[in-house]
Amino acid sequence: MKIKTEQFTELAKKELANSYSSAFLKLMPPVLNMKRDIGLSTFSDIPAAQAHGAAIRQEAMARLPELLEEFEKNAIANGAKVFWARDAREANEYILQLAKERGVKYVTKGKSMVTEETGLNELLSQNGIEPWETDLGEFIAQLLHRPPFHIVGPAINVPVEEVRDIFMAKANLKEPTLDPVQLGYAARLFLRDKFHHVPMGITGVNVAVAETGTIINVENEGNIRFTKSSPRTQVSVMSLEKVVSTMKDALHLIRLLTRNCTGQKLTAYVSLDSGPKKKGEIDGPEELFIVIVDNGRTKIYQDLQGREALRCIRCAACLNICPVYGQIGGYAYGWAYSGPMGQVLDPLLLGLDRTQDLYRASTLCGACKSVCPVGIDHPKMFLYYRSKDVLGDSYFRGKKRPKSEERFFRAWARAVKQPWLWNLGISIVRPFINKNGRNGIISQMKGPFAGWFRKRDFPTMATKTFHDRWKELKK
Amino acid sequence: MEPSAREEILQKLKAAPRQSIDPRPEMPPLSELSLTKEELIKRFTERLVEETGIVHRVKDYGEALEKLSEIAKAEGLKKVMAATDEVLAPLDLLSWGKRNNLRVMTPRDFPNRESFRDAVFDEAEAGITGADFAVAESGTLGLIHNQDQARLVSLAPILHIAIVPVERLVPVYEPAIEQVFGKKEKIPSQFVFITGPSMTGDIQGVLFKGMHGPRRLIVILVG
Repeated sequence: MKIKTEQFTELAKKELANSYSSAFLKLMPPVLNMKRDIGLSTFSDIPAAQAHGAAIRQEAMARLPELLEEFEKNAIANGAKVFWARDAREANEYILQLAKERGVKYVTKGKSMVTEETGLNELLSQNGIEPWETDLGEFIAQLLHRPPFHIVGPAINVPVEEVRDIFMAKANLKEPTLDPVQLGYAARLFLRDKFHHVPMGITGVNVAVAETGTIINVENEGNIRFTKSSPRTQVSVMSLEKVVSTMKDALHLIRLLTRNCTGQKLTAYVSLDSGPKKKGEIDGPEELFIVIVDNGRTKIYQDLQGREALRCIRCAACLNICPVYGQIGGYAYGWAYSGPMGQVLDPLLLGLDRTQDLYRASTLCGACKSVCPVGIDHPKMFLYYRSKDVLGDSYFRGKKRPKSEERFFRAWARAVKQPWLWNLGISIVRPFINKNGRNGIISQMKGPFAGWFRKRDFPTMATKTFHDRWKELKK
Repeated sequence: MEPSAREEILQKLKAAPRQSIDPRPEMPPLSELSLTKEELIKRFTERLVEETGIVHRVKDYGEALEKLSEIAKAEGLKKVMAATDEVLAPLDLLSWGKRNNLRVMTPRDFPNRESFRDAVFDEAEAGITGADFAVAESGTLGLIHNQDQARLVSLAPILHIAIVPVERLVPVYEPAIEQVFGKKEKIPSQFVFITGPSMTGDIQGVLFKGMHGPRRLIVILVG
């Protein structure tokens, strides 16, 4: 996937003008928020349930290296093969190698955010191995070469006409139809044939359990189950922060994940794999490969504040509640992760310099923080990134602001600390500022502050300050 | 020698600043834990019906077979794939099939993965399985996959019929998980929770069932 995080402003403008996206944004987030409320009502004490989730992820991060070792030991004991990859390239090359060695012509894929991050599909295609995304939304997004609009509904905003056309062209749709259900069934038939004969399946991992060496997938469509049941070879790719200590912890996280995400008490399918199939089983993989991907996470892990971002379980509650996401949708964020989730993760994974607009595109209202089931403090993270960026932090590649800005704020700091200087300054700039006013209101201004006034008004400055009037009154 | 990726990653993680572990806040127990058996059955049924599952309750295995015949007739089933798990064993589905004039296949009839896949994808009009657990908390079935419970039986056919004795109903996931994962040497290759039929809302948010897996799930609760 091409990374377009630098084009945030441009893409956001384009999306604001996209009537299909905005129609969906009026509908989808409120519905999901309502469903979330219903889903969470199964807990007798919702804040306690969420706080418990936060503690589980906090502990998992504090104990990350030992949990990974324990997970690996148990996964191997279950018969899985574990491969560690420093970066996207190592992970992709390894998976490509596995596919080549087995003479695989195509693979089916279950939704996996980390392989979107590593760009696995591109490499497989270049090497003549077709990667079929099998989650319906991902399938449509893949055919259209689009990034995900929403982590749960990657193509939910795509008009049916467009789905019809692309299915006619590429997915054996015979009779044109605009019925979403008929379109869905066309995709079912097309992908069913892929599942039937697939030699190798690739999935992501929602949670990995250290004490049993188990990997868990959460889904509604059944495509991940097919991908883990039909083929001889299964490859499951996990970013290294997915691990938790116990099965009990994992279950609580899954409760939180599904109830915060779609409001379902549980998704249609939750499958827990502990090694390849055993002797005598007619389906399930003969070999199970688990790829543990770093791709920048050990670097994030060194920074205690940045580490908080690694708690994320990708439930998307923060997207649905976010007033910014609610206006612009997922495309503007320019990569696999959108909404506050992406604003927290991308700057650390891609560098502060490539994501400058992401952590600034926030009102810091804290709605995201208020719904997060694992206790991520998004506004605090945004402020942290902003300060690192302004200071030109080399570790996370802060860009540093222009010298002129620094000079301005130094002068400003000095002026506001000295009343005589402040008063002098005010008396000098007042006429320049007030000449922009109309009926006591300034609604536009030329020069460096033009942007600020684009969407805001400001009253004109009083011709006499309070201090001036006070002096006069005393006379 | 250069350190392996594994060593390098673990080394970096171990060298990172240490963090203390936050205490786990108290969490009140889930409401299902205080329900009576009949209430649990009611909750299981309600929650599964919310997800468009169909639940029939029958007195015993005899009635279960009658219900099964009724469903087979209503659906016009000619060929089904049945698991050979311990829940189904006492039902003797092979004889039931003969009596009802429909072909009952089992994964054991097939010599290899390919022939089994052909049958379960293209021929079976329904998959019949037992379930190892029913969980009231979300109207969920739990299936342990092993040589008597092939994965595709409950997944590939368009209709999934599951039979669960009420003794296997638990209030929440934990007791089921404790039984399945409690003994390390007995952990199954795959365990799956099923809550309703396969579904999606990926085109325009229009929800529909039967995206890749079954379009309908019928549960026969015995006892």
